[in-house]
Amino acid sequence: MTNSEYPEDILQSLEDYNIDINDFLPGHGKGAKLLLDFNKIKGIEQIEGVILKGKEIENGIVADVIIKEGTKIEEPIHLCFGVNKESGVQEIFPRIIAENNTEVKVQAHCSFPNANGLIHKMFGHFYIGDNCNFTYSETHYHGENSGALVAPVGYMYIGKNSIFENNFNLTKGTPGKVKILIDIFAMENSIIRSNIKAFGKCKGDSIRIRDSVFLEGHHARSVIKMKAAAKDGGEVLMYGMTEGNAPYCNGHVECSEIVLGKGSICRARPFIRALDATSSVSHEASLGRFPQKWLDELMAKGLSEPEATDILIEAMLQEE
Amino acid sequence: MLLELENITIPTLDQKCVIVNKASFGIKEGSIHALMGPNGSGKSTLAYAIMGLPNYRPSEGKIYFDGNDITDLTITERARLGMTLAWQEPARIEGLTVPKYICLGIKEKKNLKEKVMEALEIVNLEPDRYFNRTIDDTLSGGERKRVELAAVIAMRPKLIILDEPDSGLDMIVIEDFLNIFNKIRNLDMTILLITHREDIGMVADYGTLLWRGDVLMTAEFPKVMVHYCAKAGLKDFCRRTLFQQEGKCFGKEYIEGLLKEVDWND
Repeated sequence: MTNSEYPEDILQSLEDYNIDINDFLPGHGKGAKLLLDFNKIKGIEQIEGVILKGKEIENGIVADVIIKEGTKIEEPIHLCFGVNKESGVQEIFPRIIAENNTEVKVQAHCSFPNANGLIHKMFGHFYIGDNCNFTYSETHYHGENSGALVAPVGYMYIGKNSIFENNFNLTKGTPGKVKILIDIFAMENSIIRSNIKAFGKCKGDSIRIRDSVFLEGHHARSVIKMKAAAKDGGEVLMYGMTEGNAPYCNGHVECSEIVLGKGSICRARPFIRALDATSSVSHEASLGRFPQKWLDELMAKGLSEPEATDILIEAMLQEE
Repeated sequence: MLLELENITIPTLDQKCVIVNKASFGIKEGSIHALMGPNGSGKSTLAYAIMGLPNYRPSEGKIYFDGNDITDLTITERARLGMTLAWQEPARIEGLTVPKYICLGIKEKKNLKEKVMEALEIVNLEPDRYFNRTIDDTLSGGERKRVELAAVIAMRPKLIILDEPDSGLDMIVIEDFLNIFNKIRNLDMTILLITHREDIGMVADYGTLLWRGDVLMTAEFPKVMVHYCAKAGLKDFCRRTLFQQEGKCFGKEYIEGLLKEVDWND
């Protein structure tokens, strides 16, 4: 498959997230791949130890990604849910299973560069076995017209002694209406790191994200980091939730949001609950603007206040 | 004069007290000019007013830069005319890489990598070790100050205001910083060095002594230092510091003459 066989503006949006598109298409690079163009499977490539299957349905696809026991791969598995059209409905039902003792990274891209009345829904189920090291990263680009309605839901089961990292990034373009629900169930001795970043840039952008971790196994640990900025009428609600339901589990929720310009709204609602007396759960949240001294320092280098603010937002949302 | 202050008065935010009172002095192009004074004398306040920080607006007086009246200009406008300020405690901003930070003030965006490398080398930081670092808490105090210096050097401004660049640094590092100041001077940039340390000021050509908000004198630096030490009752320190420079900057007779110029009250 060559670049000319896949919509150019989708590939361009991936490059904006520093993704090397030379290794991205089937037939190139070493990783497994599944590419959609709206509701059609455009390309699929399996590698040893990874089963990738997809079936087209009326408004989207059902897909299975199975990483077989003991498989350890460095190259990420790419899943690209691209839509080049302005409008329509795309529904994705992925089921991702990492069997025991696997190490893998999955990189998903939801790219809708021309969205103007487009609806994208995802109902994802993840089953991560025992002793795994699994990273799931999802980048979103919804064009520049605030024209998408995006509503993904993810249920994630993380097995014993596994490390699970979830990275969600919606910082390029204008998001439109976004509602995201993520539930992560952490079994004993597992470690969860969930990093959410979102940027609402104008009045048409409304982002609501609920990221929940349920610490169900003893000594399970988690950190949720949610970072967001809203400007020029954009709205962001971050709802970070952690429940400590097992002995000696430990969780932390951190929300930091920057609000800029008239009509912009940022809300952070950390919710924590401990149902076991030996568990420990904490949260911290900060909302507001950047310290004036930071702005002064950048302006003393010749930047205008809006330029300095953009640099600081970009830095905040890039921070690991 | 590259920079001239004319009767600058800076009040507190509530306008009830005066921090700097009718300050007037000038800074020659290509020089290192030290603004001396004890803690609380108004040095940093004056530096911030020169840079145009909103909370440090003069209530009276004029500031001229390169012949232009800049009294009413914003920080950004002043920076774009060719002046900048390196803060005493520069901010630590997670997520902002060292090269990107150094590039912020570079006007001509060609060959940025070479310009960043050159700036890092001037401040004695190995470029390879800092290209992937961010300006966060993982940098030591000395490293962060060097990165700040690299960023202002990369701008190639006409005037750099250095606000207490020595604070929090050990003596070995300070010696290195003095060498960096000389390198900056050799790049045709003028430095206004804010310090309360007489030994740091020894790198300066000229000095201004600020005392409780009043400018007491502006002269060649050794003279200013002697007057400062006399006001502070530091005769032995003054002798020692000056004689350390004997043969390097000035002769024994010159030093003895300076020491006789002031009343030491002993």
